[in-house]
Formats: sequence, structure tokens, C-alpha cells
Amino acid sequence: MKRSIGAAAGAFLLALSLFPSPAFPILYIDINAPGGKRMPIAVADVVVDPGDPSLSRGIPKILSDDLVLTDLFDLVPPTAHMETVTAAHFSGKPLSFPGWKMIGAEAVVIGNVSARGDLLAIEMRLYDATQGTLLVGKRYTGTPTQLRSIVHRFANEIVYTFTGVRGVFGTEIAFTARSGKSKGKELYIVGMDGQDLRKVTDNRSFNLFPRWSPDGQWLAYTSYRTGAPNVYLRNVSTGAEKEVIRFGGSKAPGGFSPDGVWLYAGVSEAGDSDIYRVRVVGGAVEKVVEGWGLEVSPSPSPDGRRIAFVSDRGGSPQVYVKTIGVAGETRISNGTGYATSPSWSPAGDRIAYTARSGGRFVVATVAPDGSDTREVASATDGECEDPSFSPDGRSLVYTYRKRGYSALRIISSDGRRQRTLVSGLGDAGSPAWSPGR
Amino acid sequence: MKGTFYWKWAVLVLSVAALVSVGCAKKQTVKSEGAPAAAAVTEAPVKEIPPAPVAVAPATPPPAAPGVAVTEEKFSQFDDVRFDFDKSEVKEDGRKTCQVVADYLKKNPKAKLQIEGHCDERGTAEYNLALGDRRATAVMTYLVSLGVPKAALSTVSFGKEKPLDPGHDEGAWAKNRRAHFILK
Repeated sequence: MKRSIGAAAGAFLLALSLFPSPAFPILYIDINAPGGKRMPIAVADVVVDPGDPSLSRGIPKILSDDLVLTDLFDLVPPTAHMETVTAAHFSGKPLSFPGWKMIGAEAVVIGNVSARGDLLAIEMRLYDATQGTLLVGKRYTGTPTQLRSIVHRFANEIVYTFTGVRGVFGTEIAFTARSGKSKGKELYIVGMDGQDLRKVTDNRSFNLFPRWSPDGQWLAYTSYRTGAPNVYLRNVSTGAEKEVIRFGGSKAPGGFSPDGVWLYAGVSEAGDSDIYRVRVVGGAVEKVVEGWGLEVSPSPSPDGRRIAFVSDRGGSPQVYVKTIGVAGETRISNGTGYATSPSWSPAGDRIAYTARSGGRFVVATVAPDGSDTREVASATDGECEDPSFSPDGRSLVYTYRKRGYSALRIISSDGRRQRTLVSGLGDAGSPAWSPGR
Repeated sequence: MKGTFYWKWAVLVLSVAALVSVGCAKKQTVKSEGAPAAAAVTEAPVKEIPPAPVAVAPATPPPAAPGVAVTEEKFSQFDDVRFDFDKSEVKEDGRKTCQVVADYLKKNPKAKLQIEGHCDERGTAEYNLALGDRRATAVMTYLVSLGVPKAALSTVSFGKEKPLDPGHDEGAWAKNRRAHFILK
């Protein structure tokens, strides 16, 4: 699949080069152009036969909310729609495309749902309203509880069709927060659209530092449930767990190697924290970074060859990059104060971290060679910390804190747009974005 | 002008559609459970297998009932040892406290002491976890230098998770940067 995306992207460029640049933003939404033109799109009421009639509006609502989040589309309001889509439109009858064009839509989405026993059969189609051609069509079968996930998948198809980059709908964010009045912290998971919030652990100790495995099936995290900070792997679906690092004092997982074979972690022994990697299966241990300082927070690069990590060897915590197995480390944070919690972007071209600026913690990104530092998220009245990239690299989730209040926020990686993902949970923090689905 | 835009757009859309369908053709050979309505198939040849199950089990009870209320501050007969911001040196008043602790442990050779390392809320949790470990270890090392057998001592770091004072100012932070002694 990866290869075909690459081929498609390459051919895109070829096709695009046939035209002068003004044509560029109209079809192909350039996700890197700030303030680029948005694609006007209509999502028609879905045909339901037979089934729950509320799906007729419910499915377009989920899809529209997704598309709005991308900032790539303008939704033509349903009140402006003139044509009623029927089952016949899925068996050969053409849509009245001039009518859709008239209300400003350049693309139209239609859908057809039918309940079959305990399952839903859902067909979704995306049309180019100008040419009247089908751009992408998919048929899904699933249970009603999978409805949101199915609609998210089609939203990802739409984004891919117009940008060449997979959307991130249906991905999730793991984080930690206090549960009710408990002083402990539990792990939570929430959808990237803010829906489906749920508690993962419930042991009333401190549960910290959730990190996703590359297949999205496991979370590594630190728990004090036996009284000491141990690292566990937890299957997100089944709740099955196993202890994974069996040495040292304080332990905090940083991230998995891209092949899922290694878990990188900061582990303290005799008060000195170094970076280790542990085989997820078997438990073999290798020391990756050693030093007299505190070395913590390893974040592997997407190709698995390097790690970013934090060390205070220079007198204050700063971010360094090291090629695994090769001597030498490069400092990439250039602040004088305090730089922590690096997170490598999925494309490998940026590293986000928590920096210190003007007496506040801010989220910055930097190239892996230490050049081109940019501040992405900051607040005049609080701290912005602990960034984690979305799987498409277009967004970051981070923690906003202000005197005891905290929230998770999502910001576009150029810093232009942001929204609150989670608020109202005590001390929410340490967010980690799941891999693509 | 507008018409030109649309035309170009349309051409590009077509090439995109063609490319996407070509690119995906291989994967789409997997069988679909979708109904084979003939007309729809010719128009929408792209099929997909059902998405992987997304249902997630509700939070399960802890595998082993911990019986360890790690979140509660435990009483100590000894003062805390306090630290400067981002530091783990045992300062003068901390050394006096350590002398009191060492004298007690020498008189009570069967006693076991756990040293908790804590940090203030500033900075990221991972770094503070390691810093708390370093603080607890610094105190342990000092106690050993005063003649306490190492076997009587253990350490645990709580990083910034367990503040003594829930405030958000230097007064609170100073109390929270500490080593706390628990007789076991």
C-alpha cells in the first residue's frame, strides 16, 4: 500500500506540473499552504433502508464533523441541498450534478445504509460534481458499534483523495488524568475528535507515560500499583498485561522501535537514569545512552535508526539526538533554560519538544540537526508541554496547564489552528497519539 | 477565469481518481461482504473488508488488588530533606536531618527505612521521575557516609506526582522538592 501511495504521489506531481501553479489549490488541496483554498463539499442525507432512520442525518454529521476538523473543506449546509438521494442513485441513476454545482458544491458525498441482521451494510461514494464522476466508493460491513469507525475510514478516503495523505480520523489519544477525587492517576483514551472517552486503568495508584506500540494494539506505561514504578504492556482491546522491564528503580517508557521489537525507556539505577531498550518479547536489555547526567524520554525516529532524548549533562535538561550504536550525540535544543519531552514527527523531518521561553513552557519544533527552531504552541497565562505528533504529522496534541487547571489541546503543526480535545479531568497530561488506523 | 480553474480541477481530479484506483487495485482483491449489486459494482469497484473490531473492553479491575495506598502521604517522624530547583545536593539543614535519621537507625539496627524522592510540579513528568530518584539516592548515599548500613535503606521516586502542598507558587514548590523518610 505504501508503495502505491508513493507512486500516486509521484504521479500527482507529474500531473500537476502540466499546469501553472494557480490550478494547484483547486483540486489538489495543498496541506502545506497556510490559508489555502478550501474544497466546497456537500454531504447528502444518507439513504436508510431498512434501518434506524436517525442514521440518515447521523452519518453525515459524523462525516461533516471530521471534514471540518481538517480545515480543508467548506461544508455546504444540508438546508441548501435540493436533491433527495435515493437507493436508485446506487444502482445507476445519476445525481443531478448541475443542481449540486448550483449550491456551490464541487464534491458530493452520498451514502446508503441497510441493516442486515446484527450488521450494517454501508456504501459511501464521493463524486466530483463538476465532471459527475465517481472519485472513490467503498462498501463496509460492521456492527452498529463500529459505525463511527466506519465513517471515520471513509473520511480518511476523502482526505486521501484530495491531498494524497491519509487522514487521521479514528485515531486516538492516550493520556493520564486524576480519576474523580482520587489522588492517583489513571490512563484514559479518547478519540481524536474528542468522542469515546474511556478509562483504561482503574487501580488508584499512579499510572503514567502511556506509549503506543506501532500496531496500536498495546500501551506501555509505568504503574505504581505494587508500590514501586514498574513498566507494563497492556493490550488495549483485551486488558491483558505483562511486566516488561525487570530491573532498575524508576522507569519511564519513551517509545517503541518502528518494528515493535524494542521498547525504549529511561531507567534509573543508583540515582543515575540512562536510556535502555528492552526486547518486548524475551526481555533482553541493551543500554543505548549512558552518561553521568539524567538521561530520559527516548523518542525513536520513524526509521528506527536514531533517538531523540533528554539529558541534563550540560547543567540543565536539553534535547539530544543520537544514532543508535554509533558514538556521539548532538544537542538540538538551543534554549538556555530547560528542554524536555521530545517527540519525533512521522515523516522524520521535525522533532517537537517542551522548551522554555519568556519564563513559560512552550511547545517548539526543530529539525533533527538542530536547525530551524520554531515555536508552535504557547500561552501567555500558562504552560504548554508534552507534545505528540498525529500520524499524518499535520497536528500535535499537547498539555496546557494553568495553576491546577489542565487540558489537552490539538494544534496544527504550523501553529495556526487549535482546539481543546479534553478538559474537565483533573491534571490531564502526558498525551500520546496512536498510530494511523 | 473561474471556468478555467474548474476545468483544470476536473482534469486533475480525474487523474487522481485513476491513480488512486490503480494504486489500490491490488489490495482490493480481498473479498468484500458487500452485496454484489451489479450496477453499483461497475460504478464502485472499490471494495473493502470490514474494519477490524474496534470494541474495547471497559476498564478492568486491577489484576492484583494492590493494598498499597501509594497515593497517600505517609506519616514520618523525621523532617523532610529539601532541595533547590532542579538540584539533588543535600544542603546544610538536610544534613542535620540526615544525622538525626542516622542516629535513630544506629540505635535501632532492625529498622528499615524507605527514602522517597519528590519534585515540584514544574517540568515534565519523566524528567522529574528521574530527578526524584537522584534526590532519594543522594540522601541514601549521605546516610551511608554517616555509617548507616546500606541494607537498611531503599529508595523510590514519585517524581512530581505526590506533592505535599498542592499550591502553585514557590512556597509550595519549596516544600514539594523533598526527600521523605518512611520507616517500614
